[in-house]
Amino acid sequence: MTDTLTQAIKDFIMEEFLPGEDPDELTTTTPLISGGILDSIATLKLVMFMEEKYSVNFEPHEVDKEHLDNLESIVKLVLSKNPTGA
Amino acid sequence: MDSTPTFTATKLGNSTAAASESHGRIRMRDFAIVAAQLILVLLLLRQFQIESPAFRILAMLAFAGFAVHSFLPLPARLPFFTALSLISIPLTLGLANGAWLIGIGFVLIAACHLPLSFRIRGLILLGLGVLLITQRATLLPTPWSEAIWPILGAMFMFRLIAYFYDLRHDKTPVTPAQSASYFFMLPNACFPLLPVIDFKTYRRSHYSGDAYLTYQKGVDWIVRGIVHLILYRYFYYHVTLAPSEVTGPAQFLQYVVANFMLYLRVSGLFHLIVGIVHLFGFNLPETHNRYLLAASFTDFWRRINIYWKDFMQKIFYFPAVFALKRFGTNNAIIIATLYVFLLTWLLHSYQWFWLRGTWLLAWHDMLFWAVLGVLVVANSLYEIKHGRSRSLSKKKKSWQSTALTIAKTYATFWFIAILWSFWTSESIVDWLALWSAWTGSYTAEALLFPLLSLLVIVLGSLSLPETATATMAAKGHRPWALDRAITIALALGLVLISMEGVHTRVSNEFGNLVSSLRSAHLSRLDNAKLERGYYEGLLSVDRFNSQLWEVYSKKPANWLDVENAGLKRFVDNFAQNELIPSFVSTTKYGTVSTNRWGMRDQDYTQARPADTLRAAVLGPSTVMGWGVGDGATFEALLEERLGREPVSSAFKHVELLNMGVPGYQPPQQLVAFDNVLDLQPNAILYVAAGREISRSADYLAEAVEKRLPIPYPALAAIVDQSGASAGMEKAEALKLLKPYGAAILQAVYGEIAGRSAELGIRPVWVFLPQVRGGSWQEETPETVRIARDAGFAVINLADVYQGHDIDTLRLAEWDDHPNELGHQLVADALYRALQKDPAILFGSTAATK
Repeated sequence: MTDTLTQAIKDFIMEEFLPGEDPDELTTTTPLISGGILDSIATLKLVMFMEEKYSVNFEPHEVDKEHLDNLESIVKLVLSKNPTGA
Repeated sequence: MDSTPTFTATKLGNSTAAASESHGRIRMRDFAIVAAQLILVLLLLRQFQIESPAFRILAMLAFAGFAVHSFLPLPARLPFFTALSLISIPLTLGLANGAWLIGIGFVLIAACHLPLSFRIRGLILLGLGVLLITQRATLLPTPWSEAIWPILGAMFMFRLIAYFYDLRHDKTPVTPAQSASYFFMLPNACFPLLPVIDFKTYRRSHYSGDAYLTYQKGVDWIVRGIVHLILYRYFYYHVTLAPSEVTGPAQFLQYVVANFMLYLRVSGLFHLIVGIVHLFGFNLPETHNRYLLAASFTDFWRRINIYWKDFMQKIFYFPAVFALKRFGTNNAIIIATLYVFLLTWLLHSYQWFWLRGTWLLAWHDMLFWAVLGVLVVANSLYEIKHGRSRSLSKKKKSWQSTALTIAKTYATFWFIAILWSFWTSESIVDWLALWSAWTGSYTAEALLFPLLSLLVIVLGSLSLPETATATMAAKGHRPWALDRAITIALALGLVLISMEGVHTRVSNEFGNLVSSLRSAHLSRLDNAKLERGYYEGLLSVDRFNSQLWEVYSKKPANWLDVENAGLKRFVDNFAQNELIPSFVSTTKYGTVSTNRWGMRDQDYTQARPADTLRAAVLGPSTVMGWGVGDGATFEALLEERLGREPVSSAFKHVELLNMGVPGYQPPQQLVAFDNVLDLQPNAILYVAAGREISRSADYLAEAVEKRLPIPYPALAAIVDQSGASAGMEKAEALKLLKPYGAAILQAVYGEIAGRSAELGIRPVWVFLPQVRGGSWQEETPETVRIARDAGFAVINLADVYQGHDIDTLRLAEWDDHPNELGHQLVADALYRALQKDPAILFGSTAATK
């Protein structure tokens, strides 16, 4: 379940923000916000995508480096809101 | 979002990280490297007199504190930093003020932690805020000095919002040391402008990375900050122009660039501040990350002040987007972005209030933020649609993409620089008047700044990766050794050229340049503004970058509020205003009163009494006695002494009529002269206080702008000759009239001296220098010559203040008017001059005692 969720979010990021990049370079610990991949607009797009796809609601204060800086923490946050990840 | 590089994964970095990462430890060798660089930094601070002496003491405290702190057990470090921060406050503000500030701060922090609901605590904080606002606005008395307000404001005005927000949303327990060090953070006690550090980031960043690399990053940023501050001085002292000096395209471009470059002061200070905080283990985000190389408006907004951007994003932007998302993501982003810029404008005014005690509400300020907001929205929409370049790894750049980046960066730089000139102009009209410079002559000099800025942008763009990369964040921009080499080379190089034996050997010109950069003082333009400043609102002072602003920020809001109490009134003539007759007001400096004729003086009969020397003393605020009580003006002191110890037997009585009016420029003295004739003076003492020539041109330009009737044919002829026409903007009229400054003064002096001679009035001209030396002195020789040529007898008091420390003579740092001692010196000097040559005022039949 976690792997599926990770892959789906990774696919979204690759498609939306990193077209043409090597997917192998995006690991679960690659810094996304502090690495400049997710700026405020990209972060919001990602949040909206996850809200819609996984029927979860994010809080404004969760849109930060602590919760969204890499795939691992993003997946953790989504699972905390929707344990089935579906 | 900006990248926040962490420095790891280099050879030396790895070995150090392995040794210290988890415990914040540092090896002795690494400590020695940092300590050696800090000694170099101290030398730099001293050699270039960076910021105030108080800051340099705090820097020493911080660096010594760092040495102790680095070897403390990790749990003891934050309490130690807290103690150091608390000590820095009374050290800077004095014991009593420091204690008040800390006390108020603890009350505010305690209110955040009351065992009440979040809403109730919020209301309590709001109540405390309102109480402090009424005190700041001087509606309620305070037992502490005004000096603490800017610092208290800097500590709490924004950080309290971020802190309270995190208390609600971040469930990690807060320790007292975290709270206290966050608000009272060293070196805040010296700086009223501080990055709005986020509380969560502050806490999480404490030893979040390798200790040594965090310290080293701090040193790098401190040195970078010093370089920014030295560059700022170069632009401030040598490149800035007054709007009236913008006469052609070359000057226009110079004005725009120099004006924007003054922001180096803020970026330099922020680097310095954040760098010092790094020395205590806080691995904070990079401030002002190469903001001159921004390639778009959103990029500029992200880079220029990441702390402010993050604060606004977290507290206002994301909550607004979430609240509005039902209208669609794009719409929510647009509205939230505009909302953030509206709030930024309002919060600048709020910040201004805490610093100055008055609200800043200017149209061009609002327009600036509106334009920037719209540009960022447009840029955001473009990025939503087309995305922006991102990469997971560093890639080789093609020359086409590099050229495109350079072109975008160059366009962004000039657009922002022009927008910045709008923001910092005194008014929209003044800014529009600058554009007339494009009708001036086109010279090769006009290419200087466009080419220089292009060179800087090309070099900067080539040295940076084109796209944001995730590996860049993980590995740092440059190899570790190169970063060290840059820091050490910069610091050593600057220390070397700061040495007199080095910089004077290169050339005299270079020696003078370095010498000017080695001290903090007001530029020639700000000095002129300070001289005029008594009559101007603070709005005319650059708001975020100028040292004059700093001087003014210390000025109490009600400083000599006699003006607001109705000392002057408007009149419908060429002078525009005059003192109100029979006015009385009590100020901190004593009573200020006027007689029935509207003079700051005792009462006199209209007709001159028999056997009386009645001299009308014409002049500006110094003659009127700004900042001293009745009877303490040099005019009153001299009159009393001439009565008590006569220097001439030609007259039995001496009356000196104080015709001084604050703000009067030479052309206005013509009106004062006309007015005093009804009181039958038989002598005139015209007191000139410096910059007579430029002020004459300035006032005539004002008269042109305001369409004032000019009842003096000689002046009206000069206006015609210059090409200035009624209703023209002042800046434009001034450009035309400036070359006629000497001719205008000749006309003024000629009129007063000529008519005096016709009426049997003895015209005497007194040169009274300003308390502080400065570029105003450049005009003095020509002014004296003009006065002599016009027919005045001249008394030159150029050395009246010699041998006295300026601080013992002036009213305050922000007000260079002479105080009581200054007036006494002037009265004594005038008395001696008259004693030596009584005929100058009393006529040739005088007999000296």
